[in-house]
Amino acid sequence: MRKKMKRYFRLYRVLISQFFKVIMQSKVDFLMGLLGFFFTQIMGIAFLYLVFQQIPSLSGWTLEQLIFIYGFAQIPRGIDHLFTDNIWLVAWRLVINGDFDRYMLRPMNVFFQVISEKLQPDAIGELLIGTILVVRGIANGTAQMDAVHVVFFIISIFAGAVIYTSIKLFFASIAFWTKTSGPFLQVAYEMADFAKYPTEIYAKAIRFIITWVIPFAFVAYLPASYFLGVRGTFGFGQGAQIVGTECLIAAIFWTVAYALFNKGLQIYESAGN
Amino acid sequence: MRKKIKIYLPFALNELKRQLAYKGAFYLFIFISLFGSFIQYFLWMAIYGSSPNSTLGGLTKEEMVVYIFMVYVTSNMTMITISDWVSDDVVKGTVAMNLIKPIDYRMSLVVRALGTAVYRMLLPGVFIWIGLEIYKVTVLGLPLVSIANVLLYLMSCMMSFLICVLFDFCFGMVAFFTTYIFGMLMAKEAIMSFLTGQLIPLSFFPEVVQRMFDFLPFSSIVYTPVMIYLGKYTGSELLFILFRQAAWVVILYLLGTFIWKRVTNRLVVLGG
Repeated sequence: MRKKMKRYFRLYRVLISQFFKVIMQSKVDFLMGLLGFFFTQIMGIAFLYLVFQQIPSLSGWTLEQLIFIYGFAQIPRGIDHLFTDNIWLVAWRLVINGDFDRYMLRPMNVFFQVISEKLQPDAIGELLIGTILVVRGIANGTAQMDAVHVVFFIISIFAGAVIYTSIKLFFASIAFWTKTSGPFLQVAYEMADFAKYPTEIYAKAIRFIITWVIPFAFVAYLPASYFLGVRGTFGFGQGAQIVGTECLIAAIFWTVAYALFNKGLQIYESAGN
Repeated sequence: MRKKIKIYLPFALNELKRQLAYKGAFYLFIFISLFGSFIQYFLWMAIYGSSPNSTLGGLTKEEMVVYIFMVYVTSNMTMITISDWVSDDVVKGTVAMNLIKPIDYRMSLVVRALGTAVYRMLLPGVFIWIGLEIYKVTVLGLPLVSIANVLLYLMSCMMSFLICVLFDFCFGMVAFFTTYIFGMLMAKEAIMSFLTGQLIPLSFFPEVVQRMFDFLPFSSIVYTPVMIYLGKYTGSELLFILFRQAAWVVILYLLGTFIWKRVTNRLVVLGG
């Protein structure tokens, strides 16, 4: 087992170092992509800022708190985006083109091969802005951070990233049956935008969907509100409850998505001639 | 003129047919883009609920609902991205083929975009529009939009379509210098969604910034037609606003011609 792990780490290093060479070759493209995502997020913040010129608080939330939630939401999203962006290609192209063949031929875990083929440098734009906003929130005292919170914080962003990856993998795996599943994946992925704001502003049905069906609320809003300590929810118990549920959801979704992916591998047929 | 129509009409028809062929994907995209409008809707409802005033940025809560969904209808119809067609043509080198054919490359792109615009106006534009009007009259208790406003709105939309496409053509010229246009497109879309009034009515900006926007073409793309639809402009102001749109069409047309000449002079296409 340990030997196997070691081998995969080494392989990942080799594969990713190839990728870094590509980035170094086209620095302008890298900067452009980074700026693209950076600007998209900045505009979201500017929107909140303008709105708060007119109102003192939004359903009891202050501007600083909303910015923290917004920033926090970007971090798990960015981590997932950085490491597993190639899953999008499975949904859009690889299965229908028959390019997926090459993964089936190598003596390596297939999922590992899919994600190790690419790092998405654009995600650094999201991670950057997320980190800036979260640090800012901690610095100006909006969010609580002591040793316990830091531990929960780290667990939470990784569980959040796993939830993202699982949702992507699940919808991408549908492509094994339908040949392409890009639009489905896109619908599911865009649901995440709802979780950038406090979920109580939405109608009940939407709130239910983003909390329990496609659980993006657990990726962003719920853990973030714990760190904000709103309504006295910053004790150890509440943290364990929210982050614990998040981890449980991450585990369940990962298991289901990975099972579906493996099932899909079994019925995969090449599109070749 | 008739000959011109005969030459360029097939571009629009082809685009229409192409769009119809991928209906399934398209409906899902409509669904996704409506997500954004619904997030905005709930957000604005909460904002108005938290505000002591009944009007924000010159709009009442009911008018804001109309604003949000008309922004969707308008931008969906007028903001057609042609710069990725340009970049596609440049990267693949097919732009060379377009240069040797006796047609105007930009004209063919504009007409192609028009095909898309017409399709999007029919689907889902008109349906959302009608749905919105019904909702407006029955639930929000606002009067039905007047015929004059609809006509003015459509006229304004036509010009905003031209402004947007002509601007995007200039923007697409970037593809001659870099091959990875995706990031640029994202940055452009983000900035434009802000400057055109898609994200928030421009009346929310500080006075100074609003004056600055008067000198940019972007406010003419979404904000202007939607405000015309809401009946916010009258008399000489309305005339001025429409005139400003027309002026931008001319300016961007000339600018596009100029850049295109410069760029094609230094173009090198390998292989083919």
